[in-house]
Amino acid sequence: MSWDYLFIQVSNGLVVGVIYSLIAVGVTLIYSILKIVNFAHGDLYMLGGYCAYYAIALLGAPPLLAMLVSMAVLFLLAIVLERLLLTPLYSDRTERKDEYGLLVTFGLAFFLRNAAIIAFGPFPLKPPSFVDGITEIGDLRILNDRIFAAGVGILLILALLYFMHRTIWGQALDAVSQSRDSAAIVGINPRRFNSLAFGVGAALAAGAGALIAPIFSLAPDMGVLANINAYVIVILGGMGSVFGSALGGIVIGEAESLFTAFFPDETRAFAYTNAFGVLVLMLVLIFRPNGFFGRRHLRME
Amino acid sequence: MSERAILVRGAGVSKRFGGILANDSVEFAVEEGDLIGLIGPNGSGKTTLINILTGHLRPDGGEVMLRGHSTGGQAAHVYAVMGVARTFQITQLFSRMTVLENLLVPGLTRPNSTRAEATRRARGYLEFLNLAHLEQLDAKNLSGGQQKLLELGRCLMLEPAVLFLDEPFAGVHPQLRDELIKRIQELHNGGRTFVVVDHDMESILRISKRLVVMARGRKIADGLPEVVRTDQTVLSAYAGL
Amino acid sequence: MRHLHVYVLMALAALALFFAPGMNQYWMHVAIMAMIYSILTSSWSLLAGYAGLFSLGHMAFASIGGYTSALLVKWFGIPIPLGIAAAIAMCFVLGAFIGWVCLRMSGPYLAIFTLGFAEIIRIAFSTEDDITGGMAGLHTEPIFADTTRLPYFYAAFALLALSLLLMGLLVRSRWGLFLRALREDEQAAAACGVAVARFRILAFAIASSFAGLAGGFYAHYIGVLTPGIGALDYMALLVVMTVIGGMERLPTAVGGAIAIEFLLELLRGSYRWDVPLLGITVHYDPQWRLPFFGIILLLTMRFARNGLMTPLWLQFMRLGEARAASAAVPVVREEDSRA
Repeated sequence: MSWDYLFIQVSNGLVVGVIYSLIAVGVTLIYSILKIVNFAHGDLYMLGGYCAYYAIALLGAPPLLAMLVSMAVLFLLAIVLERLLLTPLYSDRTERKDEYGLLVTFGLAFFLRNAAIIAFGPFPLKPPSFVDGITEIGDLRILNDRIFAAGVGILLILALLYFMHRTIWGQALDAVSQSRDSAAIVGINPRRFNSLAFGVGAALAAGAGALIAPIFSLAPDMGVLANINAYVIVILGGMGSVFGSALGGIVIGEAESLFTAFFPDETRAFAYTNAFGVLVLMLVLIFRPNGFFGRRHLRME
Repeated sequence: MSERAILVRGAGVSKRFGGILANDSVEFAVEEGDLIGLIGPNGSGKTTLINILTGHLRPDGGEVMLRGHSTGGQAAHVYAVMGVARTFQITQLFSRMTVLENLLVPGLTRPNSTRAEATRRARGYLEFLNLAHLEQLDAKNLSGGQQKLLELGRCLMLEPAVLFLDEPFAGVHPQLRDELIKRIQELHNGGRTFVVVDHDMESILRISKRLVVMARGRKIADGLPEVVRTDQTVLSAYAGL
Repeated sequence: MRHLHVYVLMALAALALFFAPGMNQYWMHVAIMAMIYSILTSSWSLLAGYAGLFSLGHMAFASIGGYTSALLVKWFGIPIPLGIAAAIAMCFVLGAFIGWVCLRMSGPYLAIFTLGFAEIIRIAFSTEDDITGGMAGLHTEPIFADTTRLPYFYAAFALLALSLLLMGLLVRSRWGLFLRALREDEQAAAACGVAVARFRILAFAIASSFAGLAGGFYAHYIGVLTPGIGALDYMALLVVMTVIGGMERLPTAVGGAIAIEFLLELLRGSYRWDVPLLGITVHYDPQWRLPFFGIILLLTMRFARNGLMTPLWLQFMRLGEARAASAAVPVVREEDSRA
């Protein structure tokens, strides 16, 4: 196979990987702070994409602004959902919180997915490009949107890391993600943090959705695969490390692209690409039922 | 000196968690009829040892033997069926099952048990523990003290040879504590063997026939309570906190 | 009288069977689907509600069962009941295998793993279309040559009754107690002598074989099999039905399946309603029924976690007991146990 083809795959892998990172980081954040796996995360990513689309289509916003708008909208929506659905997780009267989190977010995902089909129609939609055109490097041609998506995505991740290490709220978030009790002792209101975590996670997913939309189009079920890939990454990172998830996203994105490149049967390659993440996931869980690196699995007692 | 059977024996048991050596080549033998108090400062490895001796943890080194036969790393339920029962530091009942059902679970894991027979035995133990009137209540609705008694009942349903009690007196008010002590002594007089871990020195000294002290993963004393209490190494272990 | 509720159910069942020939074909189809779903929800409740294992791969097993039976019948010409039996056996073994693989996984990790499993099955069935017919569908042998659905109705009824009988026996036995103990506290269960690993594997194997039964029957009923049935959409619907009905008991799981299947059909038409006082017209679009049930699920989880049908069922069970309740000594009421 040619170097050109390989290069294309690697660069595509980077783009996809950055998107995965944004989603996975959100799942990790939510898991660290609320101690639940958010089964609806992929659907928040989907909603973010559609929100940006409609911001452009209905309000005439420029694409970049639309992305920011969708991040803000999803941030607020997430907080509302958290207040409505997740507050039982903080009460001692709720039993089996693991199960509750699982079922409630699963139900939410079901609702959002089906509502999206109605609201947005089942056919793929494509918003206009962030940056039109193609960049040529030698013989290779890369969509500008891909470069843009990767770049902005990395910026967002860096912004999050900065936020978590350099600002008070962010550091507090980091602290709470390590230990709920330490937060209470320092006088931080844990409830606000849950909302914040859920909101930030959703905002990042929304950004990812907005960034990927001009490249791959929007469909109501795009969240399903995104979810699975997010779980692969997060479990690889042990469900606790934000940085690990960010890195993991890129690794998985690249691995997936290279898998497609090297898969023997060309006609089946694409179909099984989707299965790649799943296969990795299953293998990881078999050998490490609680994930690899990152902090130890903390059960919600 | 009579030859009493060694029911449970930890031979050179070691366990490491990350960088910490929780148990360091511990030799621990429980003889039939013993009532052993296992004490030691926090972090001395007592609960780890209990977990290993009851099959809930696999040791990194050494082995556990039940009645002289090495267990070979079997799962915890095998220990239970072979007569090694335990309670937990924080009571772990089957919250949404009734008091009776909580007792039926261990009752029915015994070979050749029938529902009728297990129910009869369960009711017998409920009487003994003063919980008979609560039979149909969901376990989560019991008071803390009643829950501890129920956990003891669950152990008894296994008709165990040895009972490991992990901090049975923790957070328990004096009246209930006395009740617990009375029950333990009654059962001991009836032939059951006990290993009791706790920080409540008064209670431990009241009931123990033999005292074992652990510190930093090692067994540092093992003998009659009066002797062990005045042992220098023991005193310095506690003082060194 | 004790067991009055059982007699009532039997009477209702007898009525249903008696009047079945008069049902119109459309509603008969709905009833058959409701019964197939009932087998699926009740077996899923065994896994999730009793043993606490939230497998999202249940429909994948139904799919495997369906394809197994369909393909064996197609290639080897074996009689359909044998095909379905093979489907059950296949799902039992595969279910046990998955249960074994998942032994050390808890809650959400188990859910994610089984979700992954379901996705792989779906992708594999979809892609290997020279074997499975892929998205175009696999044509299956019908069980009955009849032009009406009536024999399928009776067959589905018999299969449902048999399944519930077997599952009911399991649940009332000591194994039922052990499974529930697993959900409550695995470590404590082990300390009580419950062979945790064995029962987790068994739960998966048994539940999956019922899924295989449902899938196998469905395959030869519906005529065309596609990989989509193992997909998340159908699994989600299963979860919705079971949780809304009540996932901790077999009857409520069945109730959820029947109620939601019928409601889904009833809500299939579009309606227009002129609101008298406000002078507006409300349009109901049938597409909304799925999100609608999504909301009901969320409300149920939030406010009535043990299911909407559970209080009804508990009341129903007490039908004949108004007089017995005055006894001073608490009677061990088998009916109160989770059967």
